[in-house]
Amino acid sequence: MLRFIGLLLLQIFVMDQVYFLGYICPLVYMLFIVLYPVENNRWSFLLIAFMLGVIVDTFQDTGGAHAAAAVTLAFFRPVLLKLVYGQGYLTKNLKIIKSPIDRFLLLLALAVLLHHLVLFLLVYFNLSQILQVLQMTLYTGISTLFVAVVLFVLFGLRGRS
Amino acid sequence: MSLMTLALVFTIQSHSYHYNAFVHSTGNITGSFLSTRNHIYDYLNLADENERLRKENALLRMKSLSTGDTLLGDETTFLFSEDVPYRVFPARVIKNDYSKRDNFLTLDIGSEQGVKEDMGVITTDGIVGIIDISNKRFSRVISILNSEISLNAQIKGSNIIGSLTWDGKDPYIMSLVDVPRLAQVTKGDTIITGRQSTTFPPDVLIGTIKSAQLVENGSRYQIEVTLFNDMTDLGTAYVIKNRDKKALTIIDTLTVRNDE
Repeated sequence: MLRFIGLLLLQIFVMDQVYFLGYICPLVYMLFIVLYPVENNRWSFLLIAFMLGVIVDTFQDTGGAHAAAAVTLAFFRPVLLKLVYGQGYLTKNLKIIKSPIDRFLLLLALAVLLHHLVLFLLVYFNLSQILQVLQMTLYTGISTLFVAVVLFVLFGLRGRS
Repeated sequence: MSLMTLALVFTIQSHSYHYNAFVHSTGNITGSFLSTRNHIYDYLNLADENERLRKENALLRMKSLSTGDTLLGDETTFLFSEDVPYRVFPARVIKNDYSKRDNFLTLDIGSEQGVKEDMGVITTDGIVGIIDISNKRFSRVISILNSEISLNAQIKGSNIIGSLTWDGKDPYIMSLVDVPRLAQVTKGDTIITGRQSTTFPPDVLIGTIKSAQLVENGSRYQIEVTLFNDMTDLGTAYVIKNRDKKALTIIDTLTVRNDE
């Protein structure tokens, strides 16, 4: 809950004002969905991801693009987890934030790619601008990853020790 | 799955003009959050903003000195009069986007202050957009940097008109399309709002011609326009209410009906 509000406030008050190089705003709120506990009620997870997306949508006037991207990410997260941590991740009592750093970064990169791709496809809503969509996905993705790693260094290490 | 559908429905709605009353930034809670954020960030460019307003004040003072002070009656009656062709409401831009394909702004005034849908929004330097949703205390503006918008514009000093659109790339450049081939187009010419527009007063500045090329087998010009307004840096904006809009719109529809 704390993470939900914290990331949301960080997104709205700081990240939406960054405009690195004029158009790149890191989307840190999606970290919440990546870091959500592995043992969860699927429905409440999807619902909370949707709520998070809708709130970001109201602040950015993007209709429902963030909500759709967040729900997509929440929906496919078990697949990504299986991909990154192997078949038996459920039995290993996995804590994502305490997992090995290379695994964590791989998961994060895949999640960012999926989330941003869906988001910018819906924001542009035009297949003829697919190049711009891919470009935005790449640049914003890199910035999100960067900010995520910074946050991880700031807050995550304490959780590991 | 149903959540996904709902999100997609919202998204699709948001891509059609005037049909997205569900998820937007003019609610009371969202608005006050944005307002707070704006209060914080305002301190970072107070000096710039003051300088801009001082310059505008000086400019307006010069204008009023040259037209004489009897033109609009004295100030008190003027402010409350319904009899001026254009009323101007000052507003603060509390949210501004320019990096997306479809951009929106949020203003800190709403229907309580007299803002209604389809009013024009300008700044000292030029046009900004058109009011899209007006709630009680906040209103949303469709930025000129939006694929839905197409404005009537003309080249200053001539009657050549075209429509102003944005291709979604550079927030400083827009394009003026549908300009006839025989028009006199010179680099550096000023583009202003057209007389056909009922949303904006005529002669509001837009930008200058950067380059022009013939398209559609050389039948029309497509002109790149460098905006006067820096859309990435907006502080104060003015909402414009046209007294005669209703009358003009009625006349327009009448002539259309006679044509049929």
